Amino acid sequence: MTPPPGPYALRVRDVHKAYRSHKVLRGVSFTVEPGALVGIVGENGSGKSTLLRVLSGQIAADAGEVERRGTLGHCPQATVLNDALTVDQHLRWFRTAYRLDDTDRADELLDELHFAEYRNTRVEVLSGGTRQKLNLTLALMHDPDVLLLDEPYQGFDWETYLQFWDVAARLRDRGRCVLVVSHLAWDAGRLDVVHRLREGVATPWDAEALDARPTAAAQRAMR
Amino acid sequence: MTRAPRLWETFRTGAGFALLEHARNRLALVLVVGYIPLWLTLEHWFVTPAPSRFLLRATGRTVTVNGNHLTMVSGAINTVTLIVGFMMFMTTFKALAFDRRLALAGYPRTCLLVSKVVAMTVASALIAAYATAVVCWYWDPVRPGLLAVGLFTAAVSYGGIGILLGAFLSSDLAGLFVIIMASLLDTMLQNPMSNTEADKDGLQLLPGYGPTQISVAAGFTDSATSYVHLLLGPAWFLAMWTLGMAAFFVRTRNHLGARGAPRPAV
Repeated sequence: MTPPPGPYALRVRDVHKAYRSHKVLRGVSFTVEPGALVGIVGENGSGKSTLLRVLSGQIAADAGEVERRGTLGHCPQATVLNDALTVDQHLRWFRTAYRLDDTDRADELLDELHFAEYRNTRVEVLSGGTRQKLNLTLALMHDPDVLLLDEPYQGFDWETYLQFWDVAARLRDRGRCVLVVSHLAWDAGRLDVVHRLREGVATPWDAEALDARPTAAAQRAMR
Repeated sequence: MTRAPRLWETFRTGAGFALLEHARNRLALVLVVGYIPLWLTLEHWFVTPAPSRFLLRATGRTVTVNGNHLTMVSGAINTVTLIVGFMMFMTTFKALAFDRRLALAGYPRTCLLVSKVVAMTVASALIAAYATAVVCWYWDPVRPGLLAVGLFTAAVSYGGIGILLGAFLSSDLAGLFVIIMASLLDTMLQNPMSNTEADKDGLQLLPGYGPTQISVAAGFTDSATSYVHLLLGPAWFLAMWTLGMAAFFVRTRNHLGARGAPRPAV
């Protein structure tokens, strides 16, 4: 099947997913263009992580289509690392997985996220925040065209949180498609587009209205 | 980089890290260093040397051997199967999410699985050699080299069982319990010191049957060697590993095209 022309990096059409009788996704559709920083928000249990698992290919949708143009980077919500290995060993292993000739991009991210000093430290003794930085770096080190980030800043301190958004904005400016999942709407002002997942479908959120009423928006998201 | 050197580098990286993971499994290391000598020493001290009759099926003859030495052979099998079974269970169980991430990132799954087998084989060989050395500290088995091979086949058979349990069980405690019980039952049922009916038919179905036959033949005879028995442990490993591998391939499947190819509606 040939996809219709159009400048999209990720297109989701009528995706359904149920766990037995529990229908989590009931027809999610949206399109993300290259060079866009897009947020998916929703309450706890609204299906954000399920959607991301479908988009990353970890699970199959019951129905619908996911079309992606280019390579994929996926940062899971819970850190998925090997405690027995060091940061550097993780980079070397994923370098071979991504078939990269070097770890230059990963080295840049180590500097940008300020954890290069832990390069030779075993993951089991790292703090939660530093583990999350490595979790994120593994998703970004091959400079993918489409990025799926599931609450990627959990455990970050304020400074690192801001650094994360700088990294995300730079990726967007370089034409990458960045999809960030969060259960809060605090970040709405930093996103180009926000989709709200509710009752199994995604509806666009008005960013300008959010900017005007950030507290109310955040409260709505937390309910 | 051309394809062949890249594939070799991919494999080498995976095998190296899989081996490193075993080396950094502190509990397993403590068990190897402490538990094997402790277990065998206790058996050396407390088990009677009274003669015991063991049916060597390779020759069809019953040999009469030192009961203490026979129990040490059985104990060595018990310890190596417990340790390797436990190691492979934990590494499979804990690494499932990480392995899936590596696979989705593009690391060849066959390479990943073969790397783990290579690491397990090296670890099993070292542990079997160490357990043989401990046995040799107390008495002189007739063919210590073959005893090490017998223990190695025991270790790999339970390594396979550990992989299978790691792929299917959802609790580490359950895995540990099953491995301990299986290994204990297996060795107890085959040792005439603990089971007077150890020559009964049907015990051939136990995973430790082949390795026990080989190890006893190595300990007490200078000629009886059955190559079929030698292959039984690895055959158990292959059967268990194949099932575990099938589960791994199903769970780490990429439901989208790896390079972002369009996926037709389901």
